[in-house]
Amino acid sequence: MPSRLLYRFRFAGLSLRIYLIIEVDRSNLQAYVFLHIYEYNHFSIPGGIAVNTKRFIFLFAFALGAIVASSPAFAHHSTAEYDMTSSTTVKGTVTKFEWTNPHAYITIESKDDKGAVVEWTAELASLGMLARINWKRDTVKVGDEITISGNRAKNGKAHMRLEKITFANGQELSGRVG
Amino acid sequence: MLRNRLKGSILTGAALLLLFPVIFALTANPSKAAGAPDLTGVWLIDHFQPALFPKGTAPPFTAWGQAKFKEADTQVNDPNLACLPHGIPRLMFVPLPMEVFQVPDKVMIYQEAGNQLRQIHLNRDHKKDLDPTYNGDSVGKWEGDTLVVDTIGFNEVTWLDHAGLPHTGALHVAERIHRVDHNTLVDDFTIEDPKAYSKPWTASQTYHLKPGWEIAEYVCDNNKYVYHEK
Repeated sequence: MPSRLLYRFRFAGLSLRIYLIIEVDRSNLQAYVFLHIYEYNHFSIPGGIAVNTKRFIFLFAFALGAIVASSPAFAHHSTAEYDMTSSTTVKGTVTKFEWTNPHAYITIESKDDKGAVVEWTAELASLGMLARINWKRDTVKVGDEITISGNRAKNGKAHMRLEKITFANGQELSGRVG
Repeated sequence: MLRNRLKGSILTGAALLLLFPVIFALTANPSKAAGAPDLTGVWLIDHFQPALFPKGTAPPFTAWGQAKFKEADTQVNDPNLACLPHGIPRLMFVPLPMEVFQVPDKVMIYQEAGNQLRQIHLNRDHKKDLDPTYNGDSVGKWEGDTLVVDTIGFNEVTWLDHAGLPHTGALHVAERIHRVDHNTLVDDFTIEDPKAYSKPWTASQTYHLKPGWEIAEYVCDNNKYVYHEK
């Protein structure tokens, strides 16, 4: 996914960056153009335009939201390996939940556009910090149908840094600490 | 009769006088030395500093320091990827809680990451001919409400921050740790290492008190990132 730094500026003591992200979803023949205003660690304001290339309909879905999430706890490595400028969402069945330090991991099996099974892993914070945001060793169980959202690994692997999970009943639980 | 009563009250008074220090010692906060400011509690950094010098800024590197910093890659050669200790000052920048204990002759800092315990020795000078270690040898003294800490005796394995600021065994870290209000602790650092930096530079970290928090067990036993693919 190409993401390009458009503009970098300082405002109110924050160093802000605006990224342009273009994402093409071939299955729905849609192209998305996102603008993210982004400040390391503190917040991002995502907005975008979805272009249905099949019907030439432009959907101005400029969802403006400030996500306040300060001080993510990265105990032993930086966020450098993740694309912190965009979010990926995948639905699937839990095959493994590793309640371990320095990070917990969720593994799910999902199906891609062609129906092929893809194994996704999501990295979470450390157990102490997760416990402080209401996670438990049995929050996720093998066989659960869940949706995971987070920042995908830059190397393109089916791996992400978890932002939140959505349970089958629609209930959400944040994986962000701070 | 009167004489006996007088004798009795003098004896009682004397006994009380003798017992006062014992009574005070029993009722005082046992977690800190008498008279010292209280820094005890669980603290969490207020803001994660992934790099002490954000892009576009830099410490006063020497040529050696600059070259060494260029070799640092957070995804490949960060010593912490192998769950090695953070060392000082990086241990103080970790985005996980730490508990401060004050015991006779020492201030102890118990960092959740890896359950590392840092000792600051209060009533002694640096030992002679120190073995190089990850955390070095920290000695401290109180200047008013400020804990003034001096640390030397480092090995050359650790980074000074999460971005890979280098150092040599000549590293000298001076800290001034003080409570600015009940809920806020500040640690001001001065970093000196003539081989890596042409002059001393400073950094600061603020912490917030986390009442009711307990340090969790943290054993780094599932580290999937020891060997990274580039």
